[in-house]
Amino acid sequence: MIDIFLMILESPFLLRALVGVLMIAIVASTSGSFLVFRGLSFMTSGVAHAALGGAALGLFLQASNIAPWFDPMLGALVFSVFVALVTGYAGETGIGEKMEVAVGVSFALSMSLAVFLMYYIPPVEVPSIWGYLVGDLLLLNNLDIVMLTGTAILLLIAAILFNKEFVYVSVDMEGSTAQGLNARAYHYLMLITSALAIALATKAVGAILVYAILVAPAAASNELLGSVRGVMIAVFVIAVISQLAGIAISLSIRASPSAIAGILAALSYVIALQIKKMRDRVHVDEELEQLLRPALEEILHEPAPEHSHTHED
Amino acid sequence: MATESLISAQDLAVRYPNGEIALHHVTFEVGFPSFMAIIGPNGSGKSTLVKTALGLLKPLRGSVGLLGLDSVKNQSQIRRLVRYVPQRDRIELNVPMKVKDIVLMGRLVKKPPPRVASENDKAAAKSALRQVAMEEFWERPFPELSGGQRQRVLVARALAGEGPILMLDEPLAGTDADSQNLIVDALGVYHSENDVSIIMVTHDLNPIHTLVRDVLMLKNTVVGVGAPCDVMDPGLVRELYGPTAKIVEHSGHRYCVTRDSGVDRHD
Repeated sequence: MIDIFLMILESPFLLRALVGVLMIAIVASTSGSFLVFRGLSFMTSGVAHAALGGAALGLFLQASNIAPWFDPMLGALVFSVFVALVTGYAGETGIGEKMEVAVGVSFALSMSLAVFLMYYIPPVEVPSIWGYLVGDLLLLNNLDIVMLTGTAILLLIAAILFNKEFVYVSVDMEGSTAQGLNARAYHYLMLITSALAIALATKAVGAILVYAILVAPAAASNELLGSVRGVMIAVFVIAVISQLAGIAISLSIRASPSAIAGILAALSYVIALQIKKMRDRVHVDEELEQLLRPALEEILHEPAPEHSHTHED
Repeated sequence: MATESLISAQDLAVRYPNGEIALHHVTFEVGFPSFMAIIGPNGSGKSTLVKTALGLLKPLRGSVGLLGLDSVKNQSQIRRLVRYVPQRDRIELNVPMKVKDIVLMGRLVKKPPPRVASENDKAAAKSALRQVAMEEFWERPFPELSGGQRQRVLVARALAGEGPILMLDEPLAGTDADSQNLIVDALGVYHSENDVSIIMVTHDLNPIHTLVRDVLMLKNTVVGVGAPCDVMDPGLVRELYGPTAKIVEHSGHRYCVTRDSGVDRHD
């Protein structure tokens, strides 16, 4: 046990990976849970790819000397906020389907822009655009850690302070607004902080892990648990376990920890669906039994003489 | 002091979000306090009128107000006074809320953050649930309830809240007979025991006929306004619901029979 601790402490890779695991788990349990509540799980991939468009714009502006100060990361963040704003605008009436479409359209727009700009970016720079989609838990650098921790803490504070408001906006936007809640502000706050967190997390640990960890555990927990707090805690636990297992397995076999963590997280959803199915079946059986019990008891306790009586007739 | 108006409109016109005209030339006034029903067929602008009064939609022309407060200028004051129950399908069922969370929302939404529920809030929420016979569902997940039970919980959310006006959008649409009776009785008792006015949007006046004091008949503009038995006039009802609508008299009251089914949405 002590050996493992020493190994982790001596290896900056592992230390950063562990911090990364915790921060991603925080992002998942806050932002991931609420996106699943609002039927916006698709926003995760939408924002990540929009960030790609922003990064391409940044590289283009730098390479063409139009705006050398425009960092690709800044572009990525601006574009992810753009997706959040378009999504938020479509969802001001509180209807999930409209937001999903808005994510799709703004995602397509940003991605098209990225592909368009790639022709005008020096070919040597192009791979670094794709770098916004592929990161890895074991390849985190100090800047990644600082950004990821910053955004995770920001999300955590927002989720703790405005937990009820985010829930109210998700469950009944119209009713909340009509009764004096500044629902629109909380609606946008929720989407923008989520978008920033997704963009930074994607840069740090890669798109696959972010999709898997932000969506699957929340979807799994939401199938089985009946309270917002329960879901958020369960998401944190599933996210930490699947990522740690990913790292542990990747140390013994040749595999990317993100890929393994992603597979485990996705499996959690499959398992949750199975458990739910079994639980529903048991529930139905119980209800059936309750319905049939009076009839059964009646048959069992029916006095025998009555039968002989009918025979005589 | 002159009698205050509960709700009043002057030459109000409003568009649906899709651009169609929902209401035009709407002018009326209903005094405070009252138990008021807004009736009319699908797409007649009933919900639109309520949403405009709450500042959720902007008037195209004219104005509407509650308790003399203008829906645009005094929006935040109005929202503090009103407890609102939207159409049931507006409630997102993907959020794992318990029945108690939904009912407490009616009180906490008007508190400043961090909106912690006090013992007082919990007592009010429990008492409201008791009024619609849902108190033993306190810890149950809201999305797992039947449609009628969910509607009862939403009515309880309004009963638990504070503010002199209750606004309910189609609280009886698509509910079972038991739930309908429970909701109607709860609203009737609450209105008689508290100094609270109720504005209810409904496609069917009959279940609340004997409780209601004022009826506003809408078909994109005002068709009639008055006491229930007065507006249940063959001419007015046919203008509202078409030639198939009939008036039936029963134990001294006049009821309307139509083929109208209820809920409509325009977004």
